[in-house]
This record gives sequence, C-alpha cells and structure tokens, in this order.
Amino acid sequence: MRYLARRLMLYLVAAWASLTLAFIVPRLMPGDPATAMFARFHGKLSPEAIDRLRATFGFTDAPLWDQYVTYLGNVLTGDLGVSVSYFPARVSDVITTGLAWTLFLTGFAVVLAWAIGTTLGIAAAWRRGRWIDTVAPPLLLFIGAFPFFWLAMLLLFVFGFTLGWTPVRHAYASHLTPEASLGFAWSVITHAFLPAITIVVATIGGWMLDMRNTMVGVLGEDYITLAHAKGLAPRRVMFRYAARNALLPNLTSFGMALGFVLSGSLLTEIVFSYPGQGYLLIQAVRSLDYPLIQGLFLTITFAVLAANLFVDLIYVWLDPRARTRSVA
Amino acid sequence: MRTVSIAVACLLLCACAPRRDTEPGVLLIEEKEQTASFIRNFNPLLEVGDVRWPATRSMYEPLLIYNGVTGAYVPWLATAYEFSDDHRRLRFDLRRGVRWSDGAPFTAKDVVFTFDLLRRFEALDLRGVWAFVSDARALDDYTVELTFRRVFIPGLYYLAQQPIVPAHVWSQVADPVAWTNPDPVATGPFTEVTHFETQAYQVDRNPYYWQLPDRPKVEAIRFLAFPSNDQASFALIRGEVDWAGSFVPAIDRIFVGRDRAHHHYWFPPIDGGVLLYANTTRAPYDDVRVRKALSLAIDRPLVVKVGMYGYTRPADATGLNDSYRRYRDDAAVAAGDWVGHDPARAARLLDEAGLTRGRGGIRRLPDGTPWRVAIQVPTGWSDWVRSTQVIVRNLRAVGIDAQLKTIDFNAWYEHVQQGEFGLSLGWAEPYPTPYGYYRAMMSSGTRKPVGEAAPENWHRFALPRADELLAQLEETTDPAVEHQLTAELQRLFVEHAPAIPLFPGPLWGAFNTSRFTGFPDEHDPYAPLSPNLNPQALMVLTRLVPR
Repeated sequence: MRYLARRLMLYLVAAWASLTLAFIVPRLMPGDPATAMFARFHGKLSPEAIDRLRATFGFTDAPLWDQYVTYLGNVLTGDLGVSVSYFPARVSDVITTGLAWTLFLTGFAVVLAWAIGTTLGIAAAWRRGRWIDTVAPPLLLFIGAFPFFWLAMLLLFVFGFTLGWTPVRHAYASHLTPEASLGFAWSVITHAFLPAITIVVATIGGWMLDMRNTMVGVLGEDYITLAHAKGLAPRRVMFRYAARNALLPNLTSFGMALGFVLSGSLLTEIVFSYPGQGYLLIQAVRSLDYPLIQGLFLTITFAVLAANLFVDLIYVWLDPRARTRSVA
Repeated sequence: MRTVSIAVACLLLCACAPRRDTEPGVLLIEEKEQTASFIRNFNPLLEVGDVRWPATRSMYEPLLIYNGVTGAYVPWLATAYEFSDDHRRLRFDLRRGVRWSDGAPFTAKDVVFTFDLLRRFEALDLRGVWAFVSDARALDDYTVELTFRRVFIPGLYYLAQQPIVPAHVWSQVADPVAWTNPDPVATGPFTEVTHFETQAYQVDRNPYYWQLPDRPKVEAIRFLAFPSNDQASFALIRGEVDWAGSFVPAIDRIFVGRDRAHHHYWFPPIDGGVLLYANTTRAPYDDVRVRKALSLAIDRPLVVKVGMYGYTRPADATGLNDSYRRYRDDAAVAAGDWVGHDPARAARLLDEAGLTRGRGGIRRLPDGTPWRVAIQVPTGWSDWVRSTQVIVRNLRAVGIDAQLKTIDFNAWYEHVQQGEFGLSLGWAEPYPTPYGYYRAMMSSGTRKPVGEAAPENWHRFALPRADELLAQLEETTDPAVEHQLTAELQRLFVEHAPAIPLFPGPLWGAFNTSRFTGFPDEHDPYAPLSPNLNPQALMVLTRLVPR
C-alpha cells in the first residue's frame, strides 16, 4: 500500500506542477487574451468592456499570488475561462464537445493495439524462427513507419471513398442524437472502426517487437526451464510463467505511449472529421487562443497522468514484488 | 485469430449502410468556415466571434439586400428607402405583416432598438454606422428615419444590410456582446434549431415566415462539420452536400466530371482582388517607375493559370473586379499599359530609376546594396503561395533577388497592417462600389503611419486629388456624376500605380442539382452563388426548389 501511496503523491505533485506551468506560461507571453480579443473587434471595444473581458479571462491587476489562488479554485471547479477563438463560449464547454470522443477513440485504439501487438509478440517469441517471427515484425514496423495521417488518408480513400465500405466522417451518423440505444452504439462503432484501425496498424509493430524481445529474454531464465521440466502444459508456461513477467516493462511503456498516441491521433481525427480534440488544438494554436490551449493541455496532461496511475494499479496486481515491498 | 477476422469481416460488411443520411427537402450546405465541432452560437451581431452560418444568412434579416451581381438593392424587411432632399435623413418604409418566429409582429420599434443597441455596445457596431449616423427614430409603426451627421451616400449600404433583432427578446439580454443566443427568435426563413450536435445541426423553417406559403420551398437546412477544405471537397464530390462555398482544385475534372448533368459551379471574379502591395514608404517602392516595372515583370496569365487553376482572369490596371463592371472606364483601362508581361520594358524602367544591375546581375538599390526582397505570404494559403512562386521567378528574370517567405497568418497580418514589409501579397476588400476600393488604395483617410495598424491601405499611399474625388463621391446621388468621378479615380490609379493588381478574386460556389434546383449561375445570375456571403445567401435560400 505504501507503494501506491507513494505513486499517488508523485501524481499529485505532477498535476500541481502542470497546473502551475499552465498558469505561468500565458502570463509570460507578450499581450494577453483580452488584447487578442480586442484586436478581433478591430479596436471597437470600450475600455470598460476590455476590463470586463480581462477579468473574464482571469487577468486582473490583483497580485500574482491572488490570481494564482483564484485560478486554482477555478480549475478545481472546472472553470477554465472564455475561449478567444470560440468567443463567447466557455473553454470548458468547448473542450467537453470533443474530450469524450478523443478519449474513446484513442483509448479504444491504444488498448486494441497493445492487446493485439502483445499477443503477437508472445506468439512470435514462443515460435522463434517460424513465419510469425520472421515475417510479421518487419512488415508491421514498415507499416508503422508511415505517419498516422498518411495511413489515415490512404485507408479513407480506399475503404471509404473508392469501396464505400465504411463511413467517411464523424463519430456517428449525422441524423442521430447521442442516446443509449443499440442503433446509436452501432453507428459509433462503425464510425470509429477506420480511424481506430489507422492507429492500431501504425502502432502494433512496436508493441509486438517490444514484447517479443522481453519475452525471448524471459524464456532463457532458469525457472522457465524448470517449469518445462516439471511437465507443465506449454500453454501454462507460455502465459503464466513467461508472458506475465515479460509484460511488466511493456505495461510501463503502455502508460507512456498513451500521451504519444493522443498527440498523434489529432491528425487522424482531422482526416476523418472526428469531432475530438485534434482540430480544437490546431485551431487554438492558430488563433493564439491561450485559454483554450491551456485547457486542452491540462486535459491531455490529466488524461496521461490518469492512465499512468491506472497502469500502476495493474502493476501491483501483476507483480507480487510491488505488493510485498509495501508490506515490508 | 479466426474469430477476430470473422468479426472484422462482419463489421466491414455491415458498415455498408446507406451513406446519405438526409430526408427529402433538407438542403445540405457547406460553408467556408471550417471546424470539427460546432458551438451553439447564433448571435447575428457578433460576426467576429464564432457564430454559426444561419445567424446572418437564414435567421436575422436586413432591411435591404445589396445584390452584387445586378448592382441593385433588393427590398427585404424594408419595401422602400428614400433620402431627404438635403441627403441628411434616410427613411425606410418597413414591410407590413412580417412576424418574428415566436409570432410577435415586426415593427419600427425593432429597427430602432437594433441601431440603439449598436450605439450602446460599440463592439456590435461592426459596420461603424454611428460614425456617420446621429439619430435613429420611428416615425410610425412602419417607418424609420435615420439622421446623418454629414452627407454620406455610401452609408446606405451599411445601414441597409444591418441584421435586425427583436426588441422584445434582446431588451432582456444583459450583455449582448457575450451572448450566444442559443434559441433564436428571428424573421428569416429558417429559424427553428431542431437538431444540434457538435458534428451536425439542422435548422427548420420559420412557421411565421413572411414569404410563406410561396417561399421557401426547402423544408430545412443542415450543416455537417468539416475540419478542412479536403473533407469539404470530398463530401461535395460524393454528392453529400447540395450547396458549397469553398475552393475546390481542378473542379472540372474532379467534381463536374463525375456527374455532368447535376454537378455545376460558378466562380465569377467579383470577390475582392488580390494585389502585390509594395510599401511606398520604403525605397525603391516610393518610385512609381519601380512599381510599374515590377508589374511589367509579372506574367499574370501564368500566375492565374498556375496559382488559381485558371479560375479567374488577369487584372487590368484599374484593379476593378467584375462587380464594378459598369463603372469601368475604357480610357483608363487602355492607359494602363503596365499590366502586360514585358520584361524588357521593366528592365528599361528600372535602369531609368537608377537601379542598375551590379555583380551577379542583381540590381543595386540607391544606397548601393543588392536589391533583395522577401515576398510575404501566409503559410498554407496554397493559391497565394503558388502565385508568388511564379512572381518570384518573374522578378529574378529582371535582376531582383526576390524570395518567397511564408509566415504564420497572425504574424503576416500584423506585418502588413503595421507596414513592416517590402513586398507582400494581399487582398482588397469587396465593396458595393469602387468608392470603398479606391478609398482603401489611395486616400489619406485610410493611410496610417508605419507602426500603427491600418485595416486597409497597407502600402500607405495617398493623393490629395483622390481625397477630393472621394469626398465628392460621398455626397453625390447622381449616377452620371458618380460615373465621372469614378472614372477619374481610375485614371489616377492607373497613373500612380499605388498597388499592383494581380487578379480579381473568384467567389467560390458549387452546387448539385440532383435534389434541389434554382441555384443562380451564369445563365440565371439573379444573385451571387456563394453561400458565404451574408446576407445575399438569403436570396438563394428562398429561391431553391426541391426536385
């Protein structure tokens, strides 16, 4: 348990650091969002209106410390200010339109890629030198070397445009309203299929190779030889003895990969007009929409932190050493 | 493994659902504004914010609509307008029997309230009407009178096209600058938001619309979110949108070629022009011979062919686009002999200006340094980038070490507005008459010192004679006088070449007649086709007929 408590502390510190960075960085930039907004109105805002806007954006003449406390309070209550490019919508409203879809798509794709890739890696290590070990890794790595968006465009063109097998845009059919029904769920799955496959295909090779290499190392250990000598079923040795140990480093990189895939999936989303964060972030950067950039980075940071925390929890479950260490 | 592949095959097969998810009578529109997720904002007074298309094109209507194709005002919420004899007062007669979408009657009170709102909240006065208007009042329920501070005839355009909002709803709004108006009450043909998701929304007919039961024939309008031009073109080609307004490359082949009977486009060159701006506060661009030489060095037909897919024509020396056609002065056009491609003459003019070739064939500036110039273009504006690549080669051919420099749009916009550039591509705003165009090109009213942001006149050029002519234009209502003054402005522009016109901008518009007919095109030019124009799109929306 002490292990978990220590990890939790670490995550709290990381979250606080990213919050603070998100507070400081926009204040170091020349100009402020209210001035950017002012420029959009071609200088026609009255001075009182500018002051009001500046207060809405959280830039007051109050001491920096007071601003910081107000900011922390606002973030904790989910108030991220007003977006410049989507004025007068609030940042929290703008972000919630896309957050769920991005988390769904990338979460789904990463878990799928990790599961398939790891399974293939186990199989490849188990059957070293057979076709699955010699053909699959180089082929998958070759495909994985293509940028996400390029693969996305290729798949969209072939399966969506030319063959017409899959929908070409959006997260669900445009006449539907989100609801808990079979028809809606089906629409969501068919729409997520092609974008998810893009991410899966592009990342699966790395997972497979990682898993294969660790697994090959584990297979040389004495306890595997012992397990074989005891006459255990090969399947049991493969999964319970070898794979479970080989999985540990792979799991750590799973947590880290999530952040990487989140940024990569932005382009996939744009190709498939997927209503996630991808376009929002590009739009925010393009129009110097600091409040929105800040909000998006915060949500992405928190998503990655949460995923890593989750991985740590699984780690404890998979690795008895993490548990016993805390007892000692 | 086998179960997985069966599942995948199943998914692929079942995903072959019908692709068109629309009902008959629902018009699908693709607008220029691209986004991946829609935010529900229907505030028509807030065009600088992120406002949805229907706010100013199907919901809130103006008093009159200026039709850029015919050059006439179309009566809309007002049936007639009249200036007083001294041109200090402008009277609008309002249409009777118009009702707001909640059933309340539309009266002069609403019009006066709207203009009053613009005065109280300056940020909403996007057309700057209170700069020349001093008072707005209702003479009776159906007559509105606006009093001017000075005689300013072009002001009609800004007053007539102001979207009118209902007093009984908007008087309850505390801060209309920060209001998203989620459930609009308006007079327009489509006001009822029946479906709003981040990736698609639909607006149904206004049950009280004043042109019913004749118009509109369309039952509802629907919008899909497209994050980029490519996605939008894609939907257009597949026949998933009926009316579109964004740039499509090689449109004859990739769009029209797929279904010649139903796929059409119309790109009339009536949008604002594209020009090469030379900063006239800097040497050597302060010399008219140099500006004309730059112009003569440029191969405009090639620029239009390579940069614009041949969608427009090379500009003439007046820089006027085709919406100003009836003002074009043949003598001025004929005198403008500096828009043809003539590198030999360009070189002669530059030699005359004392900018002779030095070592390496590069010309020397008056201070003896080699003439190096970076032409600024916003990153990602592919048509401008291609055009500039041609221009750079043209300029190198006459001994100028020119380069293409792409920079981020925000930085580019700041540079041109503040006058911190040598040469830059830029646009000219479209106006109803050449008055606005020439005011932007050579009036001291638009010229700002370098370092101060100027919304127009980035090249910082002014002529006292132009100021006189423009002042006279502001006060004339006589078409003959207007034509004569405009002709003289054209001759001034041709003589001084304040900026270097490249080509008039085409107004993008494409449509698919397999579900709806009645779109304007070159055979029936009753209005501009582009859905991006507000409020002109109202004229098209009310004319379309489902098949």
